[in-house]
Amino acid sequence: MMKINNKPVINELAIATYKANKKRNLLMIFAIFLSTFLITSIISIGTSYWKITMKRQLYATGMDYDIALTEPEDAQIKKARSMKEIKYAGLLVKCAVIEKYQQKSLDKARLYWADDTCFNKIVMPALESYSGSYPVKENELLLSTRLLNNMGIKKPYNGMKLKLSYFTLEAGTREKTIEKEFTLCGWYTDYTGQNKGYVSEEFYKQTNVKPTDFTQGSLKIQLKQPLYSEKDIISIQNQLNLSGRQIIEADTDIISYFIKIILGLAGILFMVFASNYLFIYNTLYISVIKDTRYYGQLKTIGMTSVQLKKLVNKQAFWNELIGIPAGLIAAVILSKIIIPEILSIISYSFDEKNIVSLNIWTILIAGIFAIAVNKSSSHKPAKLAAQCSPTEALGYIGFSKKQRNRKRERAGIFSMAMQNIFRNKKQAFVIFLSFITAVSVYFCAAVYIRANDARYILNETMNFDIRFLNETTLEEEKTIFTKEKIQQLEKITGVKSVRAITSAEMVVPYQEKTFGKYFKELYSTRYFPASSYKADIEEYKKNPENGLFTSRFIGIGEEDFKYLNNSLGNILDKDDFLAGKTAIVVRSFTQGDSDMTGKTMYFRLPSSLTPKKEYTVKIAAVTGLLSNPAHFSGGLAPEIIVSEKFAKKLLGETYIEIVYVEYKEPYNKEIEEAALSVFNGINEISSESRLRNYEEMKPTETKSKVLGTSISIIMALLAILNYLNTMVSNVQSRSKEIATLESIGMSSKQAKQMLGTEGVDYAIISVVISLAADIPLSYAVFNAINLYVGVSYSISWGRIIIFFAIIIIICITIPILIYQKTQNTDLAIRLRL
Amino acid sequence: MDILKTKDLKKYYKTGNSKIIVKALDGVDLSIQRGEFISITGTSGSGKTTLLHMLGGLDTPTSGNVYVDGKDISQMDKDELAIFRRRKIGFVFQDYNLLPLMNVYENIVLPVRLDGIRPDKTFIDKIINALGLKEKKYFMPDELSGGQQQRVALARALATKPAIILADEPTGNLDSRTSLDVLGLIKTCATQFSQTIVMITHNEEIAQMAGRIIRLEDGRIYGGDSAL
Repeated sequence: MMKINNKPVINELAIATYKANKKRNLLMIFAIFLSTFLITSIISIGTSYWKITMKRQLYATGMDYDIALTEPEDAQIKKARSMKEIKYAGLLVKCAVIEKYQQKSLDKARLYWADDTCFNKIVMPALESYSGSYPVKENELLLSTRLLNNMGIKKPYNGMKLKLSYFTLEAGTREKTIEKEFTLCGWYTDYTGQNKGYVSEEFYKQTNVKPTDFTQGSLKIQLKQPLYSEKDIISIQNQLNLSGRQIIEADTDIISYFIKIILGLAGILFMVFASNYLFIYNTLYISVIKDTRYYGQLKTIGMTSVQLKKLVNKQAFWNELIGIPAGLIAAVILSKIIIPEILSIISYSFDEKNIVSLNIWTILIAGIFAIAVNKSSSHKPAKLAAQCSPTEALGYIGFSKKQRNRKRERAGIFSMAMQNIFRNKKQAFVIFLSFITAVSVYFCAAVYIRANDARYILNETMNFDIRFLNETTLEEEKTIFTKEKIQQLEKITGVKSVRAITSAEMVVPYQEKTFGKYFKELYSTRYFPASSYKADIEEYKKNPENGLFTSRFIGIGEEDFKYLNNSLGNILDKDDFLAGKTAIVVRSFTQGDSDMTGKTMYFRLPSSLTPKKEYTVKIAAVTGLLSNPAHFSGGLAPEIIVSEKFAKKLLGETYIEIVYVEYKEPYNKEIEEAALSVFNGINEISSESRLRNYEEMKPTETKSKVLGTSISIIMALLAILNYLNTMVSNVQSRSKEIATLESIGMSSKQAKQMLGTEGVDYAIISVVISLAADIPLSYAVFNAINLYVGVSYSISWGRIIIFFAIIIIICITIPILIYQKTQNTDLAIRLRL
Repeated sequence: MDILKTKDLKKYYKTGNSKIIVKALDGVDLSIQRGEFISITGTSGSGKTTLLHMLGGLDTPTSGNVYVDGKDISQMDKDELAIFRRRKIGFVFQDYNLLPLMNVYENIVLPVRLDGIRPDKTFIDKIINALGLKEKKYFMPDELSGGQQQRVALARALATKPAIILADEPTGNLDSRTSLDVLGLIKTCATQFSQTIVMITHNEEIAQMAGRIIRLEDGRIYGGDSAL
């Protein structure tokens, strides 16, 4: 067979067709441009957003390590450093605790010594900011800004002299307070919220604390392979030859957790890709379908299927040639210029130009994706055009012929609108699918972004705006939170509520039936040697007043009961609790309720009016330390929480350990200052505030907010533009039909009404399906990738409602605008088309 | 009395990118009386369709006036024209222009529904019966033959009881037997419902069926009687 050179004619025809369809090609180019732009931006901004949330999570843990060996011996440290599985092994030793700065009591202000590896490789990556240097001289200190803040130091400087009272943690010695002047050589910020600092090696050696001292020394280990299984840990454990009470602290669920995250992210990414794919597919499909008659004509004059395919593909290629590079360039501009610019406007201190990580790989992936989507989405319509018979193509009217409703007698504007949506069922399905997918991505992103919002995290994890703690508790128990002080707090404009938590020493005689199992479990943890169980319990039985086994009797009000009950799943009977019939037990170090629930316990209150009298109460529930509204623990017997009314009845006057203050307007600086001023000059209290925590998180919060909002906007844009493009193609392809309707008397108002109704139907159907699908979907995504403990799934309804309202408004206005813009030529001309 | 009248009607176009002006209509004066059946003939490009579009308010003149029932429709805006069309004019197009998503009945009553009126079922059934569409009432357009589709188009044109029926090559896509059937129906209906008919055709034989023939050439009336 002779080879026919038909390239020139196909080329000519393609050029002519391309030129003749300027509007349609512009639309196609716009679609490709948008799709490329969106996918590139989502990948780059999404990656950066993910990095920031991960970083914040790292800052919240304060150290970057995978596993830790407690109380390491020298040989084990050496061994660990030589093991092929281990990347870094850094030694951290807690060696002293600061009690006071200039007579101001500080809460759990611990001083650590970190060796070079530990500080440089484990600690440093988890610091949000760091200035100065690690202590070298014996009297040098590197402190957290949180600690400095609590010391009242807002503007630290190098060489600052700090007079501190502290005690060392040397094993076997009693706490002996030492006064000493230190020099500040550096400070850092992380999000641990801990009063913490680092000391020099020389100081550490002087304290006589050994890495092997119980709970003081820890070898923080970064693994070469951060995803490890229980088997890996056992292997490391065997190689390190653990002894005594040593353990390896590890999270053996890390692989399943990682898989969950990956699945969650992959799910989101898949939806992003899918909505993009459907977006281009839609536009191309509608545009090629519109040309079916034209391709039919070409077939009638002898064009072959192969030639037709070439014709379609050539035009698609030219569109790609313009659309893809333009989309990539726009994404680079957004990521490298616009977002950093927005950040520098919002955040005064922002100086990072590379906030959005857009590299050549992202560009390549997005480019390849756009080409692939174009190829595959133009393939099907091109095939359709090539395959249909000329007569079929000439008679093409663009709707499913299966749709029949013989007895129908409607023909109103509203029924017409509904018919138009489903005139081509397959096309309607694709349009809805793409629209709903884009809406779903937005929905999931909104849920995830909300879960990572600093304020939301703080609101979820802290049920107060500021907390004042009486540091003299367990010691002289000075009454600081007097009635007057509480009233002063309550009188501050903007204060919503003031909640006091009272506590008193409690003696709980040994009760085998109620606490037997608990103590056995306690002595099987690594903190209490099983070997001393017998002797300790014997001593406890004989002398329950022994400090080791005394406990705290905690009184709470109705509001704290509500929080506590909520954390327990609302299982408690409020009336019984308030009447003092029931109490809640706080366990420490053990898991589960150790069969204490439902049992009765008895106790004595040495500071009550009748110190010898034994009281009984029924245990209604057992809770963990995290839910305990009080701060200080007594001895090993579990603390109990009772109603304040009941506590007052037994004790007469109660001692307030903690005061929680809630503001009407959270994060309000003025109210906070007023609240702090109530305790001006009182050194024996410490405070923790939501606002302070928020301010520490603010630098990353601004970044993540801007990136998160950008992602949301892009997702929303994707959904909206998808619809816009579809509608433009839709209205254009129905141009003649609309003209016919006008010719028989449809006014432009009625035409707009019809198109507007179509838009409303699109919006309502999409929104309803989206809502039904997105709530469970976003819940699954949230559970897979949520990073914070205590943060629950929540939908930012405000954001979602605004988004849906925008969708509905756009769905109504867009078709009308398109009609006005595209159907403005003479009716006679449109009828001829 | 004149139901339709044009005065020095002109329609000029600029073609594509060239600066050549095409005079589709170049000063047409025409008078049509109520109840008349007129055919407009002429060669391709003579301006027949343009004239029909002007008479039906589908197109706006470059200059001149079109009076329907004494009202100058060339001064009306888009929406006034749409209302005017659905109340006064019934269009029949060469390629039927039926709405593919609607069945025969829905297509026929659409102009009535657009006017916000409940269709007079007895009248609609009368038209349907007269045009022999009873059996096809709920068929979709693509299930009908060309002749049947044109009959549906005619029924749609009659549904609002318009004063004028404008038919653009109504038999252009039909074979000669069907053409005669359709034309017979148009005539019968017009008499039955006392309507004025203006029909475009390039077929001399069909043109002869009208009461009066107007011949157009290069946008001007060249033969026939432009006014009685």
